[in-house]
Amino acid sequence: MDATILNVLRDPAGVPFFPVVFQGLYILTWALHAAFVLLALGSFGLSLYGSMKQKHDANWKVLNPHLIQTGKLSISLLILLGIAPLLFTQVIYDAGWYVANTLSGAWVFIFIYALIAAYLMFYWYYYANKRNGGGGTFIGLISFLIVVFCGILMHNFAVISISTPDQWMEMYAPGGVIDTSGLNLAWDIVRLAFLVSLAIPVLGIFLQNYSDFVSTKSDYSADFVSFTRKLGNKFAVIGLLISAVLFVLWMMQENLLMHPVSLATIVSVVILLIMAMFLKNSYITTLWLVVVALFISGIRELIRYNIMSGLGYDLYGYPVNLEIPTIAMFLSTFVILGFTGVAYILTMAWKVGKLENGATLDGTKSAAVTKLGNITLGLFVLWMLIYFAWGMIILFKNTL
Amino acid sequence: MDYLGLFPVFYVPDVGSAWLMGLTGTIHIMASHTSVGAAMLFAFLAHKAYKEDRDDLYDYMKRYGMFLLIFSYVIGSITGPGIWYTATAASPRGISALIHNFVWVWATEWVFFIYEVIAVFALVYFIGKIDKKTHLKLTYTFALASVGTLALIIGIISFMMWPGNDAFYNTGSASDAFFGLNTFPHMFLRIGFMVMMSGVIGLIISSAMKRENVELSNELTRKMGYVGLIGGFVALFFFMWYISTLPANADAVLGLTLDSIIFNRIILAIMFSLYFFLAILKPQWIGKYLAVIMMFVIGIVGVWPGEKLRESMRKPYVAGQYIYSNQIISRDVPGKGVKSEVEVVAAKGLLGVDPWVPERLRTITPENKLEVGEYLTKRACSNCHSLEKGGKYRSMIALFTDKVQMTDAASIKSYMQVIGTGSIPYMPKIALPDEEYDAMAEWIATQINN
Ligand code: HEC
Ligand code: HEM
Repeated sequence: MDATILNVLRDPAGVPFFPVVFQGLYILTWALHAAFVLLALGSFGLSLYGSMKQKHDANWKVLNPHLIQTGKLSISLLILLGIAPLLFTQVIYDAGWYVANTLSGAWVFIFIYALIAAYLMFYWYYYANKRNGGGGTFIGLISFLIVVFCGILMHNFAVISISTPDQWMEMYAPGGVIDTSGLNLAWDIVRLAFLVSLAIPVLGIFLQNYSDFVSTKSDYSADFVSFTRKLGNKFAVIGLLISAVLFVLWMMQENLLMHPVSLATIVSVVILLIMAMFLKNSYITTLWLVVVALFISGIRELIRYNIMSGLGYDLYGYPVNLEIPTIAMFLSTFVILGFTGVAYILTMAWKVGKLENGATLDGTKSAAVTKLGNITLGLFVLWMLIYFAWGMIILFKNTL
Repeated sequence: MDYLGLFPVFYVPDVGSAWLMGLTGTIHIMASHTSVGAAMLFAFLAHKAYKEDRDDLYDYMKRYGMFLLIFSYVIGSITGPGIWYTATAASPRGISALIHNFVWVWATEWVFFIYEVIAVFALVYFIGKIDKKTHLKLTYTFALASVGTLALIIGIISFMMWPGNDAFYNTGSASDAFFGLNTFPHMFLRIGFMVMMSGVIGLIISSAMKRENVELSNELTRKMGYVGLIGGFVALFFFMWYISTLPANADAVLGLTLDSIIFNRIILAIMFSLYFFLAILKPQWIGKYLAVIMMFVIGIVGVWPGEKLRESMRKPYVAGQYIYSNQIISRDVPGKGVKSEVEVVAAKGLLGVDPWVPERLRTITPENKLEVGEYLTKRACSNCHSLEKGGKYRSMIALFTDKVQMTDAASIKSYMQVIGTGSIPYMPKIALPDEEYDAMAEWIATQINN
């Protein structure tokens, strides 16, 4: 099949904004998805070990419920944060996205129900562990394995979507006989291993943060603080070394080792390693981790862009059908309402987290909580008013 | 060659890929509608709890919230992308058309989701840890975010039915597509149903609290009865307005099944009115098993047929009345520079425009005729019909043998030519070259006769 087919498979309606903007948003939001995928895998994975130790070990007894709670929240967030890159990638890379979804259609369906099963079992694990102060390991392990399986399917979709049209044709009609079962699978072990390995350093840095957070609270012993800090250091350092090796292998395989973005990623990882080893304030390490995540997300996009443009796909030449009102809505909602709202809840969560045993937070006494709350509520009301006014105007214009 | 931007066909034997969507859609509707309804209910309860200084209501909210976390936020938030993924596999160009038009609307909805999910975790876990007033404010924002997600998705799914006027086709503007004729009736119909769902689920929670606190349980059961009744009434009221904003092709499909739909809705309305009245008058009679069963009843007897109906009423289109279910673009959309593909398909045939046909099947020969016929039938018809004998999804074989009583290739072919002229309102108006009709008719005939 001719490579220009990639251009034919673009939506005839064009894109509603400049492709480079979608590309940027894609890199940004996929990094967020990945961050929580990795945190979920890391905290969930470690909690399985912890669930066996927590009955006898005082430190694990405190840590493990928090790991499980982190896993629970992270799975929710990774699902949510997956939605945005899903939107942005298919707007600009139609061919890859839709072909991967149809060629792997049956797996798409399996993915969804596997994820539901895994998450329900996770809750089972959570409640079993909570009730008995430990345990639930077996059901947790099964859930964990299904989550990993979901990750492998995700990876499969990504690999198919960056395959060449000739490979697609071979999957769709092996030997010229059409197969509409949607059961195709493909993978790239090095890429998968690298991406999954990042769960270890992400877990490590999370534990460092955790240790710093509880160190200021009187109901956590110094022994516990240093236990979690050491655990975090170990995971961060060993994990980063493993990931670094896999990254180099991956880049060699893609012939990108000497590419500036790849070199910059390596430098950023080395800096992260040094920070994880020596820096006292781990919150700063986390900020830097965000930068590293953006680099890695960028590399993924670079690989796709190179493959597609090498085949003759003209990303930046995608016809643009400019659409102003809805992007104005998105940007203002995202930047103004989104950031204020999330800041509001995180401020409260931070304060609640810092409460000593049994205390309650009086939000009305905190200027930050009150102000953020009023602004958030006001913005939501304003948003609704604008929405209905906008709808009425359009309806009157088009029907009268 | 003049290829069209078609994608590989994904087809599930017997049930069609559409059933996968229907299943995921039904589960998602139950979960998501409960979540928005519950958000409004929480705003009401938190308000009451604050005003009357009642701690026991928080107990109820906490239990309800825990249930919601699993029911709505695990199942709902996975089936949400789930519908999307399955719809993509079943109907890639339909989804593509929606995304390329509405990407910023969906992205906005995503911001609301993020807020909503963080807020629901906060809401549930902060109970007892923050003061009532702050909790109330948080609950208000949560409710508004939840309703916001409905406000944002409703214009998109309404557009799937139709925009309601020609503005969108001329301007190509997402606003014209979004605020169509049936957007608002559809929205209030759903709000009503959401409120009712929050009552149905609320009854499960309240009836399960009997052992700890009979009085509270009865009080809340009674309240949930009112909530369900009000929601159901609003839904029914707006359903009638909604029906009157549907396009003519929907009437054609509706005509096929209208009596049974009305019958189904009347039975449901009576059944649930009785249930809610029982909750109001004899709250102690509502047990948790009954409440759980009623939840399944609403899913299986209410939502599942409703989803199938909504899908049917859209026929022959999948989105915006410009893309047919079988992925061919049916008309020009000048505002977007989109051109109808019906003419080129008629001239060159599907084999001439489908990029995914292997070389050995491009030209029909006596040896490959049946194989080509099978593929073309999948391409042209399988989005709306299952093709196997005994298929469950609008079985094509059964329709040919029973409804129009044609079993030989010649009459099947002539019937397909009728479909091709567009004289059957619920099927796409796509004419094909003679030899393609022949191949399809022959394959269908062999399926019928073996
Ligand atoms: C857009 C969806 C759609 C597509 C595509 C479609 N059909 Fe149909 N078809 C329907 C609907 C809806 C009915 C009505 C079913 C009923 O009576 O319950 C129907 C009915 C039929 C009937 C019964 C007679 C009638 O007119 O009601 C036959 C035969 C039939 N289709 C054949 C085909 C063939 C052959 C193709 C492929 C060329 C095809 N259909 C493509 C939606 C579709
Ligand atoms: C437990 C569940 C999940 C896991 C473990 C997971 C993991 C992953 C991984 C490992 C990748 C990278 C694949 C690669 O580049 O090779 C990825 C990509 C992606 N994920 Fe997920 N994911 C999960 C759920 C989801 C969900 C529910 C969504 C949608 C809402 C989603 C959306 C995406 C998107 C859009 C990409 C990018 C695909 C591409 O670039 O082609 N993920 N995910």
